[in-house]
Amino acid sequence: MRWVWITLALELLCLKSDGADGADSQVRFNRDIRPIMSDTCFRCHGPDQRARMAGLRLDLRDEALKKTKSGVTPIVPGAPDQSAIVDRIFAANPAKIMPPQFAHKELTASQKETIRRWVAEGASYEKHWSYEPVKRPAVPDVRDSKVPIRNPIDAFVVERLRREGLEPSPEADRRTLLRRVTLDLTGIPPTPEEMQAFLADKAANAYENVVDRLLSSPRFAEMQTVRWLDAVRYADSAGFHGDNLWPAWPYRDYVLRAFRDNKPFDVFTREQLAGDLLPNATTEQKIASAYNRLNRASAEGGLQPKEYLAKYGADRVRTLSTVWLGSTMGCAECHDHKFDPFTSRDFYSMKAFFADIRETGLINDRGASAWGAKLLLPSPEQKVRLASLKTRIDAAQAELKQESERLFERRWEWEDRVLEAYKSGELAWRYQHPLSASTLHGAKLSIYNDEPIDSDYYMKGSLHSERKRGDGLVVASGPNPDNETYVVTFKPGPGAWTALGIDVFQDESLPGNRFARGSDRFVLTEVEAELSPSQKLPFVLATTRGFGETPENPPMAAIDGNPKTGWGVGFGEQNNPFLALRFADKVRTTADSVITVRLHHDSDLRRATIGRFRVALSQSEHSWPEDGDSAKKSAVAETSKSDAATLNVSVERGIPPAVLVALEKHEDDRSAAEKKAVLDHFTWAAPELQPLTVRLAKLQAERDLLESAIPRVIYTERTKPRITRVLPRSNWMDETGAIVQPAVPSFLGNVKTDGRRATRLDLANWIVSSNNPLTARAFVNRQWRQFFGTGLSRTLEDLGSQGEWPTHPELLDWLAAEFMQPASGARHAWDVKHIVRTIVISHTYRQSSLTNPSLSERDPDNRLLARQSRFRVEAETVHDIALAVSGLLVERFGGPSVRPYQPDGYLAAINFPKREYSASHGDDLHRRALYTQWQRTFLHPALLTFDAPTREECGVNRVNSNTPLQALELLNDPIFVEAARVFGANILKSGGARWEEQLNWAFGRALNRAPRDEERRILTDLYQRSVESFESGESNAKQLLSVGETPVPAGLEAKQVAAMSLVARAILNLHETITRN
Amino acid sequence: MNSSNGLQLCRRAFLGRGVSGLGLLALNSLLQRRLMAEVARGVVNPLHHPAKAKRVIFLYQAGGPSHLETFDYKPALAKMHAKPMPESLTKGQQIAQLQNSQLLCFGPQYGFNKFGKSGQEICELFPHIGSVADDICIVRSMWTEQINHDPAHTLMNTGSIVTGRPSMGSWVLYGLGSEAENLPGFVVLVSSGKGGQMQPIAARQWSSGFLPSRFQGVKFNSVGDPVLHIRTPPGLSENLQRDSIESVNALNRVENQTAQDPEILTRIAQYEMAFRMQASVPDLLDVSKEPSQTLELYGAQPGDGSFASNCLLARKLAERGVRFIQVYHRDWDHHSGIKANVAIKAEEVDRATAALIQDLKQRGMLDDTIVVWGGEFGRTPMSQGGDGRDHHIKGFSFMLAGGGIKGGTTYGSTDDFGYAAQENPVAVPDLHATMLHLLGIDHQRFIVKFQGLDARLTGIAGQAVSGILA
Repeated sequence: MRWVWITLALELLCLKSDGADGADSQVRFNRDIRPIMSDTCFRCHGPDQRARMAGLRLDLRDEALKKTKSGVTPIVPGAPDQSAIVDRIFAANPAKIMPPQFAHKELTASQKETIRRWVAEGASYEKHWSYEPVKRPAVPDVRDSKVPIRNPIDAFVVERLRREGLEPSPEADRRTLLRRVTLDLTGIPPTPEEMQAFLADKAANAYENVVDRLLSSPRFAEMQTVRWLDAVRYADSAGFHGDNLWPAWPYRDYVLRAFRDNKPFDVFTREQLAGDLLPNATTEQKIASAYNRLNRASAEGGLQPKEYLAKYGADRVRTLSTVWLGSTMGCAECHDHKFDPFTSRDFYSMKAFFADIRETGLINDRGASAWGAKLLLPSPEQKVRLASLKTRIDAAQAELKQESERLFERRWEWEDRVLEAYKSGELAWRYQHPLSASTLHGAKLSIYNDEPIDSDYYMKGSLHSERKRGDGLVVASGPNPDNETYVVTFKPGPGAWTALGIDVFQDESLPGNRFARGSDRFVLTEVEAELSPSQKLPFVLATTRGFGETPENPPMAAIDGNPKTGWGVGFGEQNNPFLALRFADKVRTTADSVITVRLHHDSDLRRATIGRFRVALSQSEHSWPEDGDSAKKSAVAETSKSDAATLNVSVERGIPPAVLVALEKHEDDRSAAEKKAVLDHFTWAAPELQPLTVRLAKLQAERDLLESAIPRVIYTERTKPRITRVLPRSNWMDETGAIVQPAVPSFLGNVKTDGRRATRLDLANWIVSSNNPLTARAFVNRQWRQFFGTGLSRTLEDLGSQGEWPTHPELLDWLAAEFMQPASGARHAWDVKHIVRTIVISHTYRQSSLTNPSLSERDPDNRLLARQSRFRVEAETVHDIALAVSGLLVERFGGPSVRPYQPDGYLAAINFPKREYSASHGDDLHRRALYTQWQRTFLHPALLTFDAPTREECGVNRVNSNTPLQALELLNDPIFVEAARVFGANILKSGGARWEEQLNWAFGRALNRAPRDEERRILTDLYQRSVESFESGESNAKQLLSVGETPVPAGLEAKQVAAMSLVARAILNLHETITRN
Repeated sequence: MNSSNGLQLCRRAFLGRGVSGLGLLALNSLLQRRLMAEVARGVVNPLHHPAKAKRVIFLYQAGGPSHLETFDYKPALAKMHAKPMPESLTKGQQIAQLQNSQLLCFGPQYGFNKFGKSGQEICELFPHIGSVADDICIVRSMWTEQINHDPAHTLMNTGSIVTGRPSMGSWVLYGLGSEAENLPGFVVLVSSGKGGQMQPIAARQWSSGFLPSRFQGVKFNSVGDPVLHIRTPPGLSENLQRDSIESVNALNRVENQTAQDPEILTRIAQYEMAFRMQASVPDLLDVSKEPSQTLELYGAQPGDGSFASNCLLARKLAERGVRFIQVYHRDWDHHSGIKANVAIKAEEVDRATAALIQDLKQRGMLDDTIVVWGGEFGRTPMSQGGDGRDHHIKGFSFMLAGGGIKGGTTYGSTDDFGYAAQENPVAVPDLHATMLHLLGIDHQRFIVKFQGLDARLTGIAGQAVSGILA
């Protein structure tokens, strides 16, 4: 029984979408015939010459009326009986029928009849609608409408409804209306105060005033920016392979400012495509040009650069074509487009516009040269400080060089001394065997002195496992707090010591990059040492070997007294990072002396705490941070290098390998590099130079920290254009294709340059010229979707032949015309806010979204707009609503991307380097979701689950799904649990004293209405049940209230807050809460 | 449902009925029925032709396993060891890290043995797979187009290198629907292994692309929550969690009395599903309760997150009606030290792969389960750095078994060097077409409109490989 009904329903649906609407109207080519032919005929009888069969072309009338080689005439206007196409589509013989069986396309009876009627009526053709110039259509006269006609939108919609025998719905109630427009324009629900004000405002233009208030809110810009970022596939990571983070957020902020300031869309377009080419380009315009760099980029070793340049170029054409032209030019990468008049040559000519972007196929993803062209964006103050630091560093370097050269003669003596110290073993670091190892915040430290310990680490890409005596190894385990301080004591025995060493071990038992107990690196923020009873042992210089460049974590930061800065390592394998800390004065110890060392990990990165380490002392003159273990590892890693192989690696080093090799040679046999290595080491180690060395190191660390703090953004730098060829079937190795120059698709016109090579700026100017029929249509169609859930043409990404014929073509054109050349009410042409305002002011927008069975049956997807639509809000808004309603939301416009909570191990499948996530702190945990760090290969699960795109590829049309994973997310994700408990506490604090009042208050904030009686009853039950559960000990209030960083409010009873939190959680989980209706 | 009956009734309804039962009660219009039916049944209904198999377990060996040390025996290459590769073969061909190096032949690092009645030739490192030789079909003539991991994975999974296309698991789930009441219909498991060649895998590989996200693969994790946020928040008893979910659903029903919105009914059904997942998934993923001989068979240790444990889980998921199970094992990217590293991989996968096939067989499930084993590409017959092999796309091997696959067969071949597929080449879309064919789907008729095109898993290519069908 059930299946019968379903079949019936499907048939009803199919019938509805077939054929001409309204039986008496004439068949129209664009509306009725082109969709059928495009889907079923054009593949073999359309624009693609190479795919054409029987020499027959049906997309052009002249061609379709010609007799073919086989002597038949496809179409004889007015005479279906003589028209071959009619004969073939009605054929009973399987060998004759069109479309042929292998095409797997069957025409319905109604489609066949429509084609026959069209031929009978004269087979008139129309140019494809979206390629016709945009002309402002006349507004229909609907004077006797029962609903207000607030602007032409309503006239077009009412006229269409009348043709269908339908009527529009009345205006929604004022509560629904305010909630709807506030969510649509700002992504945050109205506050109860805003609702009260609106309900009380009896002015005729109360609604319009609200709209103007919302349009001028920065939240409006944030909401628009989300959609734009999808389209241009903005992300904070590169997207291929290691998917490392790149600096792109200043571009996001440019987009935010553009929407906030209502930058005309033509200017917005020009700046993004060609900001760098504008005369006297401003910083703002250069930032905008980051648009050209947002495609995915790969740092995978072994890729073939030409192949990837081809990928990047094709990606740019697809994106530009989707975003501005609403076209699927991507199809023409391999062959002429099957349905639209884009040729393959058009595709590559479009790609040629971008051939002047400076880039490489293999892009470096770490170090100073990472990501190619970057624009630094220092604040004026940073600029001044940086310049001053550079001057001082230059001076300090010059002085050091001078002094070092002055001491040149003494170096010979020094060389002998060092070599001897090395040979006698005096240079070697002495691992200390701790007496005790404790922590301040609960982590457990275990000492392995003579005890054996297992370690697993990678060297040269393969796993090494060994079990050996710990020799002073300290291993952290147990509780894993975000910040921690390790306190280690040891007895060095009698001696005089020059430096303390911290040797950090990588081990497979650790997460992420296998250094720290969390995060993607460890950060040692401060190291302190003291000699009993309490004599401080100050350090003057921190040195480390160069592993992975992390300029934001220079070694000197471990002894700079600043608890937030520190030494850290993220990238890297095969080398144990070793930090050498030179004591200010020699430390003399006796047999009973105890040294205490404190390792602080107080950075903002969570759990950037070292997993395994040893401490060491050096008694010789300035041992280099090269201990025995790492010496062995790097020797294995470097076996192909001749010198390393000759070293006796069993000796503990304390000296750079290259220096050792050089010292063992006669001066005359040393290469220039070796001479320099010796001089550098001398400069670092010579006691006489220490004051200068220390001063320079401090300045350099200060500069590194400052430079790391300066915002930067990938952007477009211009270079000599690469040659662009047509790649036959997109094969990047095939160089037989024609060389092409930049040009726009030929059927859409051309850019005039008087022979000069056309630039991206020419392209941008053409895109926003009135000759281009596509840009405005594509944009307003996307805008429409934001406010009704579906575009006027459902296929936002395809206004071509295979796209959906708009439900209201004249309305779409009217909006496009109004966008480009506003008739009234706009500040300028291409005025985005004006178009949005026009849409939301209309009665069509303000209608009730309630439906009834007959309307649902007639127009299930609400394409005729006899009512408003109801749909779930987008991923970002789901998050923002919970934060706003609970009171957690922290609003700040723009800035670096933030990291909300994310489950541990979510990034485990990423590598190069291995990744672990460190959530932000404080305000940054509770920003709008738009600011969430966008990791393309593993998008934050809260966003992904609610259908946010990964932005690996351009996307203009999010799907809207409804899944069990969404339920789990809203119920159990710590951010939503935290929101629920904070909301619960706020209900108790601010919702009044009585239960009824409290529920009213909660509903007012979340849903902008009062609860119904049944709803009260359900929530009262839940509350009582919760209180019982917390009181009986079945559930634990303290544990629940500890979810998330926000402190539990004082003065409230935990069980009561917890029970109310569950009421709050139920409200935050309601379908209505995340629905705009 | 009338919520005035209070929580008692809701709770009973909740626990007592599956999704279809509740759906029938709650749904009251044609459209809503269509919606629910689509989820449960899939869009290919009826099937295009009778199906041989109902589900797929894809043992994805990520990184690119060497065909020369697994399934493709090349004695001739051994003879050419250390000699230059004939330029006629390699000229103008794509190459990854060997760009600008001299190309020298690198012989197979292990011997091969004949196994089973069929006498299939399999590398000596894989005796367990050898023990099921008569159940498996070896395809020695696979080829692909993409030579770097990320795009090659994307092609293998989605049939396209442009991102945003649905993965094969999503296609299959969309086509056939799910038979699992408490579980997602497409599940992904990932293990790492001990070789250290851990290429990243993007979540895109199990994305539903332009299909609705209910068709996406759900990754089950071996560390932390088995499914993201599957655990009740700290401090809440399971009873209170259930009461909370029931309250949400009761409130949603109240709202629906006014709104009459099918999306609300779907939301209610999804909360119920979520609750059932909470109740069943952690238990399901705990293999410690399996009989010791089963653990022994697979070589699995409870909680180790290994490929062996995941193979065992795959069987449990298959039993519960999951349509597509993809078990990734990382670590096959042997640019160096291939001899030692392949041995490590063999240790990790040989026994478990064979155990899965045996276990399915003894449960009578092998007949309607397709087991696929292979990676995104193969490895060069040329050496890299003297002891490794680079990425290779012109010829490599796959192994298939189960529903509708001809066991005991070796299909296709590469040339004497193991360089290029020679006899009966099988392209990625052919593999997809074969899989769909066995599931009762004609890949050419399995279409979704996207960007004006008839999008297919197989694009405009693909043909079911009749030579490997039983």
